[in-house]
Amino acid sequence: MGEFLELTVDKFTFRFATDRYYHPEGVWALPEGEGRVRIGLSDFAQQSGGDVAFAEVKPVGTAVAFGDEVASVETMKTDIVVPAPVSGTVAEVNPALEMSPEAINEDPYGEGWLAVIAATDWEADRARLLDAQAYLERVREIAEEEMRKR
Amino acid sequence: MSPNRRVMIVPCSGIGKTFGTVSREAAYTVVEDLRPDAAELVALSLLVLGDEEARAAVAEHPTVTIDGCRLACATKMVQESGLPVARSFTVLDAFRKHRDLKPEGISSLNLEGQKLARVLAEEVAEAVDEVVRGET
Repeated sequence: MGEFLELTVDKFTFRFATDRYYHPEGVWALPEGEGRVRIGLSDFAQQSGGDVAFAEVKPVGTAVAFGDEVASVETMKTDIVVPAPVSGTVAEVNPALEMSPEAINEDPYGEGWLAVIAATDWEADRARLLDAQAYLERVREIAEEEMRKR
Repeated sequence: MSPNRRVMIVPCSGIGKTFGTVSREAAYTVVEDLRPDAAELVALSLLVLGDEEARAAVAEHPTVTIDGCRLACATKMVQESGLPVARSFTVLDAFRKHRDLKPEGISSLNLEGQKLARVLAEEVAEAVDEVVRGET
């Protein structure tokens, strides 16, 4: 895994892996070659959602378009609908999540990955995603807005 | 088995958190309703503050912790005080076993949260029995 950017807001510190792209709704996409794109929740998304109780990913073979629900993550606080950051077909689902969904909290950019998608047009989708710095700035806006509401 | 063996219950002190509320409701149910003769509540905040009476209670009796979330503050605080934890529970694990009981609310839990606290309390009460019998 590459390096990380960090953003601290109040008592919270969020990490952003610089080797991947981000859907604005908090889903990362890591191209792995041959059209395969691994996806998962960003550190900000998992911290905002809280402790994950259940994670359900669409089964292998499911076709998804950019922005379609590809997974749902239920935490103690909320239900997260995870939009696909890339169009394609679900090629792999993280088998560990059934027994250990807490991996999403503990290692969101590693062991807590959600799925691998066989992308139909990664280059086109990538243009709609944010790089780590741009996503960090978006998170900064969201987090500071939340702080102002308190 | 010692009929006079008492078990200390240390719940999460997460004020303002739904799962913290569930942990404390479960603890109250154990010490006030299910096992009033065997279980006793110790406030985590007293342990954090180094209260001698609370620390002595945990040091002298087996302790069961009830954490709200994976941060496990109750369990960690007891352990970091150099004291043993006989059994530990989390609201998150209880919710994973009872997905239909999603708790909501803070000062007042919804019905599902109250039921979750109850089933968690029953699990803790069974653990108290095992600890009293010397099985843990």
